[in-house]
Parts: sequence; C-alpha cells; structure tokens
Amino acid sequence: MIGAWLLPITVVVPLLGAILLMTPVGRKGLRTVRLVTGAFVTATTILVIVVALLGENEIELFELLPDIPVFFRSDKTAVWFAVLTVAMWMTSTCFSFEYMNHEKREKRYCIFSMLALAALMGVCFSGNLVTTYLFYEMMTLASFPLVMHEQTKEAISAGITYLYYSLAGAFLGLIGVFFLYSFAEERSVPGGVIAYSAGGFLRDNLSSSESTALTIVVFFMLIGLGSKVGMYPLHGWLPKAHPVAPAPASALLSGNITKMGILFVIRVVFFAVGPDFLRGTWAQYALLGLALLTVFLGSMLAFREKVFKKRLAYSTVSQTSYVLVGLYLLAPVAAMGAFLHVIFHSITKNLLFLVAGAIIYRTGRTKVAQMKGIGLIMPITMICFTLGGLALVGIPPFSGFVSKWYLAAGALETDTGAMRYIVPVILIISALLTAGYLITMASDAFFVVDEHGGHGAAAPAAKKEDASENESGEADEPAEEEFPEIRAEDAGHEKEASPFILVPLVILAAGTLFFGLFPSLLTGWVEQILNAVF
Amino acid sequence: MDFIRNFPFFSILLPMISGPISSVMSGKQAKRLNFAVVTLSGLLSVAAFVYVLNTGEAFTYRMGAFPAPFGNEIRVGLLETMMAFFFCFVMLFSLIGGYRFTAVDIPEEKQNLYYIMMNLLLSSLLALIYTNDMFTGYVFIEINTISACGLIMVRGWGRNLLAAIKYMIMSLLGSGLVLISLSILYGITGHLLMEPMHEAIVQIMEQQTYREPLTVAVGLFCVGIAIKSALFPFHSWLPDAYGYSTCASSAILSSLVSKGYIFLLIKFFYRVIGTDIIHAIQVDDVLFVFGIAGMVFGSVSAIQQTDVSRMIAFSSVAQIGYIYMGFGLNTEAGMIASIFHILAHAAGKSMLFISLNSLSDGTWEYANYRKLRGAAYRHRIAALGFAIGSLSMVGIPLLAGFTSKVYYAKAAFGVGSTYKMLIALVALAISTILNAMYFIGQMINIYTPLGVEPEPGTVKHSNVTRVAVFMFIAVNFVLGMGSEPVFRWIQTGLAQFR
Repeated sequence: MIGAWLLPITVVVPLLGAILLMTPVGRKGLRTVRLVTGAFVTATTILVIVVALLGENEIELFELLPDIPVFFRSDKTAVWFAVLTVAMWMTSTCFSFEYMNHEKREKRYCIFSMLALAALMGVCFSGNLVTTYLFYEMMTLASFPLVMHEQTKEAISAGITYLYYSLAGAFLGLIGVFFLYSFAEERSVPGGVIAYSAGGFLRDNLSSSESTALTIVVFFMLIGLGSKVGMYPLHGWLPKAHPVAPAPASALLSGNITKMGILFVIRVVFFAVGPDFLRGTWAQYALLGLALLTVFLGSMLAFREKVFKKRLAYSTVSQTSYVLVGLYLLAPVAAMGAFLHVIFHSITKNLLFLVAGAIIYRTGRTKVAQMKGIGLIMPITMICFTLGGLALVGIPPFSGFVSKWYLAAGALETDTGAMRYIVPVILIISALLTAGYLITMASDAFFVVDEHGGHGAAAPAAKKEDASENESGEADEPAEEEFPEIRAEDAGHEKEASPFILVPLVILAAGTLFFGLFPSLLTGWVEQILNAVF
Repeated sequence: MDFIRNFPFFSILLPMISGPISSVMSGKQAKRLNFAVVTLSGLLSVAAFVYVLNTGEAFTYRMGAFPAPFGNEIRVGLLETMMAFFFCFVMLFSLIGGYRFTAVDIPEEKQNLYYIMMNLLLSSLLALIYTNDMFTGYVFIEINTISACGLIMVRGWGRNLLAAIKYMIMSLLGSGLVLISLSILYGITGHLLMEPMHEAIVQIMEQQTYREPLTVAVGLFCVGIAIKSALFPFHSWLPDAYGYSTCASSAILSSLVSKGYIFLLIKFFYRVIGTDIIHAIQVDDVLFVFGIAGMVFGSVSAIQQTDVSRMIAFSSVAQIGYIYMGFGLNTEAGMIASIFHILAHAAGKSMLFISLNSLSDGTWEYANYRKLRGAAYRHRIAALGFAIGSLSMVGIPLLAGFTSKVYYAKAAFGVGSTYKMLIALVALAISTILNAMYFIGQMINIYTPLGVEPEPGTVKHSNVTRVAVFMFIAVNFVLGMGSEPVFRWIQTGLAQFR
C-alpha cells in the first residue's frame, strides 16, 4: 500500500522543492537555492530507487473525467525510464551548480528544472493514456522556460518554436487518445479502459473501416508524438532549441526529455494499440521510412554543422530516431535494441552536452573549429568526450555497439521486406557519419599541427592567449570573439573545470563503458518487458 | 408544499426589487446592497439546488392566479438551479474583482445607476434560466439587453457609446427576430407555456401541417439568439462591447450575458421543440456549420489583434462557436459538453478579463501588446490568473478547458455521422492550436522581463482583487479535476427537461 502511494509522491517531492524555492526561502541566496535543489533531486532519486525495488504497484488518484482516473503504475517500463531520468537529473543538477555561475537567474533555472522533473516522473509512472498526456503537456510547459533561459532573441524564438511544435504534436496525440478511448475493449480494470496493458487494449471485433480509420489516426498520433523525439517532419524545433539552452538544460532536453516522447510512443505502440495491429500495415512502413530518413538526415546535418552544440543537437535528431526504428520494426530483438539505446544514448548525449558546457564555461569556445587542441588544456574533459563519441559511433566495447547490434540483428530477423536490409545499411552509413563528426573532433582536440617546431617562437603567443581566454570566459557573446589556436606548447596550461563539472563527466563516461561491457545487467529486465508484449 | 420551493422565485424578485431601491442610494450603499443581493440569490439557488437534488425531480412554480396552460410559470430543475448558482457566483466575484476599476471608471454620482443595471441583469438572467413560459423569456431577453447596454456605456467614453449603440442595434434585431418567431409559434400552437407548446408541435409534425411555418419559426429563434450571443458571423458588435467596457462589465458580459440567451435556446430545443424535431428540420446541421466557422474564424481574428482585451473578446467568439458546435452535434453528449463549456468558459473568461485589467491598469492604452510586456512583474497574482486562464482556454489538462474539450471529443465520437465526427475533431484540433498561438504568445509576452522596474499602476490593487482571481483559479481547477459530479448533474438536469 505504501509502495503505491510512493508513486504520486515522486511527482510531489520535486514539485514541493520548486514551490519552496518560490517562497521567501528562495531569496536567501544562491547557497540555499542549491542546497534545496540538491536535496529535493536527491530525495526524488532515492524515492525512485525505492519504488523500483518494491516492484509493481498501482494507484488510482481521482477521476479526472468520468471513467478516466489519474492513474499511476510502476511497471517495468516505467521503472526503466524513471531510473534513467533521475540518474540524468542528478548528474546534470550537479553540473549546473558550477556551470550556472556564469548564467544569471539560477533560481529560476532550478525551479523550472524541478518542475520539469516532477512532470517527467508523472510521464514515467503514468498508467493510462490520459495521465501520460496530462504530464506530457506539463513537461512541455515546464521545460520551455529552460530553453528560453538566456533570454536572447534567439533563445526566445527557439523557445516559442519548441512550444508550438510540442503543443501541435501533443494535440495530434490527443486526437489519437480520443480514438483509442472509443476503440478500447470494455473492461473494468484499475485505470479505466485506457489503462496500459502489454500487447494493447483494442477491441477484437474491429470492422475493416474502423481499423482503417484507426490506422490513419495512430499514424498521425505517432507523427505528433514524434515531435518531442525530433522525428521528421516535426523535428524542426530541436536543432534550434537544444543548443540555446544552458548546457545542463540542453543535456536534459536532449538526453531525457526526448526520451519521454519515446516512452509515449512505446506506450502507444506496445501498450495501447499493440504491435499486432500495426504490423504489416502501411503505417508501419511509413513510420519506419520516416524514422530512417531522420536517422540519415540528422547525421548528415550534424556532419555539416559548424557549431558544437548544434552538431550535438542534430546528432540527437539522428540517434533518437534509431530508437524509433527499433520500435517500429515491431519485433522483440529490435525492440530490445531500442530499449537499450534509450539508456545508452541518454547517457552519452548527456555527457557530450556537458562536455560542450564545460568547454564553454572554461574557455567560451562554441565552434568546432575553435576546439582544435582543446584536449591539451582540458584533458580529462576531452577524454570523456572521446569515450562518449566512441560509444555513440558504436565501437565495441562501448555501449552504443550493443544497442546497434540488437537493432541491426533485429531488423534482419523481421519480415518487413526490403526494410529489413535497408535498416542495417542506413545504420552503418549513419555510424560512419557519426564517426566523421565526433571522432575527428576528438582527434583534433589532442593532435595539433606542430608548425613552428620550437618552443621559443610560440611561448609569448601562449601567454597572450591565456589572457584573452580569461576575458572571453566572462564575455556575453563568446561566439563572436576571436580565439587563438591552441598549440602543442600549451599542454601545461591546464584549464580543467572544478569537480562539480568533472565528476558527472567521469561518471557518465564510465557508464558508457560499463554498460558496454556488461549489457546483460540490462537485457534481462528488458526481456521481461518484451515477453509480456510479444 | 415546501417553503423552499419559493426560493427560485425569490431569487428573481430580490434583485428586481433592489434595483429601484438602489436608485435612491449613494454609490457605496448601492454597491453593498448589490453584493448582498447577488450573494443571497446565490444562496437561495444553492438551497433550491440541494432541494431538487434530494427530491430527484423538477417542479413547476405557478406565478399569478391562473393555472397552466394559461398562467405564467417558472420551472425549477437540477440544471436550472445549478446554472443559477453558478451565474450568481461568477457575477459576485467578477464584481469583486472589478470593483477597484468600477470605482475609478464610473463617476461617483452614476455608480448607483451601475448597480441598478447589475441588479436588473441578474434578475433577468435568473428569469431566463427559470422561465417555463416563452413570452416571459422574451420579456427578460429585452430587460437583459437594456441592462447590458447600460453596463457597456456606463464608462461614458466615446468608444463605449459607439459600442453600446452597435450592441443595441444588433441586439434589438435579435430580439425582434425572437419576437416574430414566438408570434408564429403562438399562431400555430396556441400556447406560450413550454409543455403545451411541445405537445402541439409534436402533433403538428405528425400531421405534417404547418411544417414550413414551424421551420421558419425555429430558424428565426435560432438566428435571433445567435445574434444576441455573438455566434459567427453575427459577432461584429462583440469585440468593442467586451473589449472597452469597465472590468466588471467585460467579465460579466463575456461570461454570463450571452450564456443566459444560450440557456434559453437549450430549453427551447429540449422543452419546446424537441431534439428529434430539431434534427428532422435540420436546424442542427446549420448551427453545426456556423459553430465550426466561429471556432476557427474567432481565433483567426483574435490572432490579428494588437489590443489584448479585443483579443480576449474575439476568443469569446471562438468559444461561443464551441457551444453551438455542441448543439449542432445534437446528441445528449454534445449538449452536456456545451453546457459544461458554458461553465468552463465563464470561469476562464471572467478571470482573464479581471487579470488583464489588473495587468493593464484598466486602460486600453496599456492593453496594447507592446505595453503589456513585462506586466507580470507589476501584479503577480493577476499574471498567474492570466496564465491559468490562458492555459485553460488552450486546453491544458487539469484545467476546465481541457475537460470540456474531452467531452466534445467524446460527443463527436457518439454522433452518428462520420463526416460530422471528423469535421468536429479537426475543428477542435485546429482551434486548439490557434488558441495556443495567441494565448501562449501573450503569456510569454507578459512574463518577459523588461530589465527595469515596471511603473506602478494608477489603480491600487487590493486583496479583494486577489481573492477574486484566486477563486476563479480554484473554480478552473475544480472543473478541470473534479468534473465528474458536475457531469452527472448536467446529465440528470437534461433528463429532467423531457
């Protein structure tokens, strides 16, 4: 019983934290703000771990609409995403305590970060479609102020774009919810007729016109939910919005909030409509095609992009669609790949954005071209970056390899015609492009051309450079500044950031390696989910 | 007969009598009397509501010496008492929320006149809700129009006078059509009370005599009410009337006045004509089309406004479109959705007007889009009210607007025709996105900090305004989260209409 009540409490705790910061407590100075934020995020983390250990629980809170309650359930999928969320939130929050020194209005950032956490907890533990939708909207509303945080013209326009794309996508989803409600099987279970059940809850005796209508609606619903994930054609907001946010927020947006879109897709495809309904329909192929197109497009655009954070955002567009490809193949092995890639990409992309943040924080450099040799002055940061890059490309023994293996193998196993060969091919091409845009950066960061060949000529230049970098670290718009090249002689001038920044980076980098070596820790859990669905 | 059966009658009579009494009072006294009367009428309605809920059936209450089918009657059911209470509630808190502005906008010597109008308005609204007699309905439509006109022009500025004249002309056109329609109906049925009229009409439909006059009469009635409640394309009077009035007037006009007429229309459909006959003469399809058009074009016009109070006024056109769309579905679920939307819209729109007036200091110079930037930091509670009202209008879950949208969607699935279902759903989606475009944009605008301290407003904000905004926020959340009993009451109330 207590276990069931813990589910809404995971939503309430970060909410209380946010409310506490809005009261006079929040005016007592930055230390208190950080203390409160840290304490409440940690408390949420502990709660989620307890919930995960207690196993499956469910609770109906109150009837939002007649026959449709607000309903929470901690099934295995929910726990999977919830644990991921709190882990990412912990690292990013820890990072933000240092990083936000060079941003204004840290209190507001903390408030909305916790509100977003509350909404994400709601999305994770929601047990029926309407509850998910409810928190999904809350998540949009709580996260767009994070995008707008810097209040430059660019940030505000990006925030508004994000809002419109998200709302439009969510409303497409809502129409789908209405349809699913009217096609749901009559049953009396906790959570109402639209409570998730593994394998779907549709009526058996759908007439052919009804199932045609439903296919169309589900197709548009998934397109709409794809807006949060960044799937073509509703991906336009993502490369605009993710880079303009402060780095820890970009990390959460890219690493975690996109995953909530994926969770909603999983809930719709596997727990509401059911894979059997979609398998073999035109909708499946169309969605697969769009997801593959996004994978390719995202990698291509990332490859051509010159600004580091934007490059990472395009990479997110590409990588999250890997997950969608895995889901839309509607087969157990591919779905395993998708579930694993959720975790792996989340860790990796969080890491990469935090690296970008650390570099901006210490040197103010934002463009890829300015980062040549950066590994010489920030070695630990860039080693973490390299590990993350390798994982994202999918080189064994890093984690990305495992998920991509399952994705490719799963695709070949399915009965989807030409798609089954196209999927692995696109995956390989995209992995090559990923290597092109990440690994080249990593090598440039450590190996710089030693043109002058002597110490004497370069030494004065290095000193000058130090001075200019210190200034630029505090400047408002570092992108417009001229950054001198970093040369081999600068190796001694370390500019590594403080432990608040380094510890999350190292933990995340270790995570990419650890899960790559021991994926079996995770696969067992996913197998249990998938056995129920398929 | 229980004494409590007199309460609805008292609640109509009380404001009507206190109106003339106000004329010999000072502005302050009239205000106090008016607040007391609105509160008392609300309490009487609650008592009647509880009574009907307990007995489980509606009752009619004879006024005057003659029994039906000749005399005059009011009818008291669950839906009527619920609406009466809700109207009193919204009116009271709109008055409270707008009180500061009323005091500034209206000259001291005219204030008692304002409250006379307010009393008459309440009386006529309650009469429109309770009446069981079509001609009484017509009389109170006129009283309602006159008092609403007074509310619009009481500020006495050029724009208000112009708006009031526009309103007067359009409204009288509407009531004229209603009167013609009632004359025709009286001619073919020989009755004015609702039940006998209904019986006669059923007979007429069976015998196929007077079918055309009946259709014409129903059409005229609908158009008349549509003009008065600003259904697209008869909405030209609305933006000026709502946008430029004093705060309390805007709130009450947008949330209550048009709804009183609409409630009479519901009674006309259910108790006089009968929904199957409405369907047989295809009036519902016409209303459906205009409702959908209103939903879309109201929002499109709202997007074009630079003046935020006009923007909110245009959004009312869209919301009225929703209500008529529900009528057009012509199912029980559609009607329930529309009645729920009346409540949701009243709760949201009055809050929006009060909040906006607090943010813009009650002047239309400051209601401009640019001038409102950063206004949230001038009056935080009002900004919160504006944000929640906006989110409710957009249809964010947990708020009233979302619930009514879900009811509409459910109703759309229940309607027999696939075309209607698809059109309704698509219109809901489009209108929601359009709503989001202007409301959310405005919200962001208000919360954009300017970097300088905002100038303090000329109108002093009191805790009273805050209380009003908080009450409306609470109502929005209650309707959004606990709509289940309200839904059931509306359902029972509609069943009692038969």
